[in-house]
Amino acid sequence: MTALLLTLLVFLASLGVYIASLVARTGKAGDPRGFLDAGARLPGWAAIFAGGGVLLSGIDLPGHLALVGRYGLQAGHLALGLVPAVLALVLVQKRLWLAARIAGLSSPVEALAGYYESVTLRLFVLTVAVLFALPLAAGMLAGAAGLLSVLTDGVVPRGAAIWGFAFALFLPAVMGGWRAAVLVLAIEALLLATLLVATAGLAELLLPGPGFPQAALPVPEGTLADAIPGVAQYSAGIGKETAQGGIFTTLAILSDALALMGLTLSPGMLLLGMTTHGGRSLAFGSVWVMAGLVTGLLLALAPLIVARAGGGGLPVLVVALAGEDPLAGAALALVLLIAGLMATSFFVTSGTLLVVRDLVMPFILPNLSPRDVRLSARIALALAFLMLAMLATFSPLAAAVFRSLALPLSAQLFPALLGLAFLRWISRSAVLTGLVLGSLAVFMTEPPGLILFEGLFLDLPWGRWPLTIHSAGWGLALNLGAVLLVSIFTRKGDERLHRDRLHDAFATQARVNLGGSAARGAKWSLTLIWTFLALGPGAILGNSFFSQPIFAGGEAALGLPSLWVWQLFFWLLGIPLVWWLAYGAGLGLTAEAGLRRERWDVRAAPVPGWIAAALARVTGGCGRTSPKSGS
Amino acid sequence: MQDDDAESRLERHALVVAVWLAAGAVAALLLLPGLGGAGIAWLAGGFAALLAGFAGHVLVNAILGTSFTPREVALALVLSLAALLALVLATLAVDGFARTLFLPLLAGAAALAAAVVFYLVTRHGPRRAFEVFDVIRDNNPRAASQLPHRGGRK
Repeated sequence: MTALLLTLLVFLASLGVYIASLVARTGKAGDPRGFLDAGARLPGWAAIFAGGGVLLSGIDLPGHLALVGRYGLQAGHLALGLVPAVLALVLVQKRLWLAARIAGLSSPVEALAGYYESVTLRLFVLTVAVLFALPLAAGMLAGAAGLLSVLTDGVVPRGAAIWGFAFALFLPAVMGGWRAAVLVLAIEALLLATLLVATAGLAELLLPGPGFPQAALPVPEGTLADAIPGVAQYSAGIGKETAQGGIFTTLAILSDALALMGLTLSPGMLLLGMTTHGGRSLAFGSVWVMAGLVTGLLLALAPLIVARAGGGGLPVLVVALAGEDPLAGAALALVLLIAGLMATSFFVTSGTLLVVRDLVMPFILPNLSPRDVRLSARIALALAFLMLAMLATFSPLAAAVFRSLALPLSAQLFPALLGLAFLRWISRSAVLTGLVLGSLAVFMTEPPGLILFEGLFLDLPWGRWPLTIHSAGWGLALNLGAVLLVSIFTRKGDERLHRDRLHDAFATQARVNLGGSAARGAKWSLTLIWTFLALGPGAILGNSFFSQPIFAGGEAALGLPSLWVWQLFFWLLGIPLVWWLAYGAGLGLTAEAGLRRERWDVRAAPVPGWIAAALARVTGGCGRTSPKSGS
Repeated sequence: MQDDDAESRLERHALVVAVWLAAGAVAALLLLPGLGGAGIAWLAGGFAALLAGFAGHVLVNAILGTSFTPREVALALVLSLAALLALVLATLAVDGFARTLFLPLLAGAAALAAAVVFYLVTRHGPRRAFEVFDVIRDNNPRAASQLPHRGGRK
């Protein structure tokens, strides 16, 4: 199987280079926008497929399957959290897309920094982008390389695999920029989804013995394989205390859905939506691909694959499948590998391009010609992939520690994005206060903060995710509380007029039709009821709802775990919720025609002293610049 | 403008590659066990995947308002002829092939050919679908042959 697998990987890498070379030949020569953001005219189909693929890959498919193998269906329930995460994306994506067209705020960094007139916010979003681009991507790259090394029996060493993968991912990005990276991802995403279904089916057909649900999930003793272990557990957290029956209580699942919101609201995903050509692609991608296909695949197939893998894990399943049909084994291995590599490519490329366009271009090298901008982006991509490979090779532990911050910190941007999209009374002070408190809560409930604090000072009474609540949940609770409180006192501050102008432009050029009061109420209340029953405390009913119906007084011979049926049932109910917002309210429908570019004079705030001083030290006094906008 | 056209062609090409890569991968996964003797159902599944790929390609054309490019037609013809040649050679050279696999493979190939004919007829109509291949008429130098009532189409 080794030769076959390597051939397939080389073929995919060659395909990426081929597509990128076509993009490089057809791109508008010298236009940096063509390289940095595809001229904001990515084809809709590419955004649809790439968005779904990044979601499937960004959830860390091999890691998710391993988690289901360790904790059973309670971990599988996490995939249902993609539905509210996609809802959050639908809420803000169209307004960001409009901000790019109406006000010229053409990246998520520029949009947030320009709207709130804050350099701090710009740096925060860039920090999140870098967290996705380096530690998170390095973790996934190291995981894929480790898997390849195991599957080839060490023929390809882990280090060689890391550098080979990094080079293969680097080439399309450096040749064709953002457009090439997204087109290649879109092609691979369709392949990933198709092969995932096909190989799961082949495993059921070819491998001997019963599969799920006749074969139980291989969880360790003491862990509930097909039930959620309670609404909450008063556990001090991972590393301090072991939760009984598993860590994924309903509160853990609900708060993990907030972390998944960090994935859908990551700077890269937002950039993907903002650089897509107008049309129905945002709606189609959100409803049918992300909430529909990706969530459904994860919920339905993960238990099947994990049960077939047994206690040996995914490499054992690949080898067993290859024993029956080498091509099927190689295809499953390919699924697991490209699932890790797609997110790696996407986050490194998007993060690097954001740093170039929103930090290097406005602050450090503002006078570059278009050709030089493209050159600097290519140099930055080379440095980023080099750092990625070095981090994955020499410091996978540091990558693992710091990658834990990426999703929960990204989720902390939700109040700021809501303010930009709808809630004009959310002020800069409120957003910054919320971000500081939320980030602090995330930091102190994730490994970096715990390791740092306990190493320097004293042991904390809590570990990771205390009370089985994900750090994103702790952070957002503090963040939202602070935003609401501070906004009460600052909602009519000086900068309100500036914020109002964008919202007025939204209202005049693309009014959202959320319906009358009844329709609005129904949207909110049904979403809350769905969240309560699907992810919140109500999900505990799913443990026995279909196997021991409440009023039947006996057991129903369903033949399937009740929780699995509950998950699939609420997945099917969740799709219409997303559809209602994306299509019904028009939040996923965009049109380029009829939009007027508004004058958007952002008050030119000076570059903060510390940035100017740092630049002066590096450049010998030549680097002092004024930002293009919004700081 | 030229850049826009080139970008549109590139994006369509990438989408077609995406469709055929996925369909082709599934077809390969199903056809190889079928050829190895796993059963007719596997072969049928493989040909169904190829048909799905063709349907996807037609859908791409319909959505983007394009049609098959000459390169795509040429590639399809070359691959079809190569597959047909392989089928004939395997029938002649491989023991037992004619008895077990010839008919299922021929049926699959016929299904693909029928799908192409169905597409041509529904896309162009019976007469124009025939005219696509009717190169002899194009070679008729007489002006009268181009008159509509004599079947001309220049």
